[in-house]
Amino acid sequence: MSTNAPTRTAPVASGGTAAPADPNEILSRWNRRALLGLQDLSAEEIRTLLALASSFADVSERSVKKVPALRGRVVANLFFEDSTRTRLSFTLAAQRLSADVIDLTESGSSVSKGETIADTVRNVEAMGVDALVIRHKAAGAALVAAKAVKCAVINAGDGKHEHPTQGLLDIYTLIESRAHAKPADPFDLRGVRVAIVGDIVSSRVARSNIAGLTKLGAQVICVGPPTLAPRSLEALGCQIEHDLDAVLPHVDAINMLRIQFERHASAEEGRASHKSSSNAFPSLREYTQGFALTRERAARLKPSTIVMHPGPMNRGIEIAGDVADGEKSVIFRQVTNGLPVRMAALFACVSAEERGRTTI
Amino acid sequence: MPSVLIVNGRVIDPASGMDQVADVAIADGIVAAVGPKLDRSRADQIIDAGDCIVTPGLIDPHVHLREPGMEEAETIRSGSAASADGGFTTVCCMPNTTPAIDDDAMIEYVYTAAELDPQTGNRLPRGARVFPVGAVSKGRKGEELAEIMLMAKAGAVGFSDDGDCVASAGLMRTALSYIKPTGLSLMQHCQDMSLTRGASMHAGSISTTLGLGGWPRVAEETVIERDVRLNRGIGCPYHVQHLSSGGSVAIIRAARKEGLPVSAEVSPHHLLLTHEEVLKHGGYWTNAKMNPPLREQTDINAILEGVADGTITILATDHAPHTRDRKALDFEAAPFGIVGIETALALYIKALIEPGVIDWPRMIAMMTIEPARLCGLDRLDAPSGPGAAALGWVHRSGLGLGRLHVGAAGDVTVIDPKHEWTIDASKFLSLCRNTPFDGWKVRGRAVATVIAGEVVLDRRVGVVGAR
Repeated sequence: MSTNAPTRTAPVASGGTAAPADPNEILSRWNRRALLGLQDLSAEEIRTLLALASSFADVSERSVKKVPALRGRVVANLFFEDSTRTRLSFTLAAQRLSADVIDLTESGSSVSKGETIADTVRNVEAMGVDALVIRHKAAGAALVAAKAVKCAVINAGDGKHEHPTQGLLDIYTLIESRAHAKPADPFDLRGVRVAIVGDIVSSRVARSNIAGLTKLGAQVICVGPPTLAPRSLEALGCQIEHDLDAVLPHVDAINMLRIQFERHASAEEGRASHKSSSNAFPSLREYTQGFALTRERAARLKPSTIVMHPGPMNRGIEIAGDVADGEKSVIFRQVTNGLPVRMAALFACVSAEERGRTTI
Repeated sequence: MPSVLIVNGRVIDPASGMDQVADVAIADGIVAAVGPKLDRSRADQIIDAGDCIVTPGLIDPHVHLREPGMEEAETIRSGSAASADGGFTTVCCMPNTTPAIDDDAMIEYVYTAAELDPQTGNRLPRGARVFPVGAVSKGRKGEELAEIMLMAKAGAVGFSDDGDCVASAGLMRTALSYIKPTGLSLMQHCQDMSLTRGASMHAGSISTTLGLGGWPRVAEETVIERDVRLNRGIGCPYHVQHLSSGGSVAIIRAARKEGLPVSAEVSPHHLLLTHEEVLKHGGYWTNAKMNPPLREQTDINAILEGVADGTITILATDHAPHTRDRKALDFEAAPFGIVGIETALALYIKALIEPGVIDWPRMIAMMTIEPARLCGLDRLDAPSGPGAAALGWVHRSGLGLGRLHVGAAGDVTVIDPKHEWTIDASKFLSLCRNTPFDGWKVRGRAVATVIAGEVVLDRRVGVVGAR
């Protein structure tokens, strides 16, 4: 499986010169009660969250997978958009911190009766919730929620804008894959090249990755047809390319994104679930010939390059099954690493709120 | 392959700036030497081009060869032969066939039909090289993008929904950005359909008199304006097909002055004829029915100005064969278009050289290196297509078309500028005769055409040294 992700230990603990610090010591450097996006954070703040995640990493390896960090606290999952993996990951992360978890989904909620986001989150907060984890199809929804309440808020994906915990776990996984080289500063990604391939324009994962990676010094190359990777995205601080084959041999990590058909479908054609074409490219056949990570393409990657995917995967479209299951793949390490990263995000924001920090 | 030597001609190669009396030697399908008094002893064939103009093989980037779907009007083979007879060594065929040329299999089909007899696998008698232009949208319906990248890889030399306009601004913007990385051009048929419903000729005094629906200039101009604006932040090569309105010239001139990648072509009939042509032959003459329509003298004047000042850089026939039966329908029901590939050269001379609008080197440029660049055929570096090399085809770019210097493709047209002749549609190699120029007395004709080093046409007894 993942030979390039040899460690099951936290990257800082195994590779860094800095010894894993006491979480409370790390936390003194974090002053936000909300994690809305990586674009807002400083490099130092990103390092803080990654270091904190690292200190939580071994919790998952224990037979008793719990620490008492948030005992007696309540975390509410507010998922106004479908999700399985992210919600489960947040739920488990909260439980490992000993918090109680409640779930609110769109169907059957007051949202379907016409309530605004602000009122919904105020109601939830009024019942005594300490942290809100919110996913919504509208960009900026997490900000609206954070402004409406005083408790901690974690953005679990707002439209095409940001998905900061996914960005952090991708970066965490990249750092973990480099830990065997024992870099002096594991969080220094200068000289590292990361390709993000596919539907960049629709992707909150891409935006969070670009922001986080570039702040740590990495170079990000976004690859896709001009309709999915338009030049305008250079404003995010990445490089744009349309020829995947030219990029392949030069990257240290390649992150394959799913085509978000639902975000390209033209309303009048009602193609929302039709997976053969979209407004952004003529056919899956053409797309896969140009941009799928096939076995042949994977063979042209450097031996040390890791293959990532934020899921859900469409095998045979953006990534060949053999590659997803192959030795370069760290796809399931990403999922595993989601837990300490989300534990860190929850713990950091709740603690900051507790210390009276109001910054979002 | 026998070597060919063309002697004593005035050699005009706009790409290299050459214009002098010289000999041209062609061997192994490419230009082997250009210069005065080349050695004649080693040539298998000698063409005496005294008093003639020797140019890179002429290129027409806009023809309709009707195959597949309307083979009674033209086939790739008949159109290719007619082109060579007209002095053209390369033509680019539009994708408005049935089915449309909108995927890579259809692109390969055109190459197959042009180069090989699919039954026997033997090489067909050579005519002009035929390169396919692929559709912008699937089925040319203007709704979804066609498989642009796959077609580009298979050998498409441009993209157009010709016959129909890419009407939706949204699709147009998507197409421009999607096509840009291929390096090829988006060729637009500029016609706002909402302004031309029921229209069959230019909107003016004659359409009013005849009671025919009028086609205003603005139907063309608004599309060009819009596309230029859509493309401003994208920068895809954008080409205006068969320009007809004087107002369009001004829009294109301004865009080019801004440095935008905009080009335009004009056809012989829009240089020489006005809407009055519809009144001839008793009126409602369907050989004067074109899309876009013949307009007025003021338009012709503006177009000539645009040619003279370099706004319009390409000459294209829009060769559009239609059978006699279909052109015999009433004016409104008859199809648009005329054949042009066998008459174009003489008509360009009449419209542009005789009145002194431009000189010979400029006109040759507009028929050689300019269209070659438009279609990415001028390059000499050779990206070879998958499968193409295996079959020994020489159909991909990298041939150096539109040029006449050492190393370029062995495509040459020999033009006798003084040759006087009368256009006789009954003699056309094209399967159709729909031309308003039948019976015109003209001057200047291709007397020899060499394609890939092979003498395909030799109208004079010019081969003096065959051995």
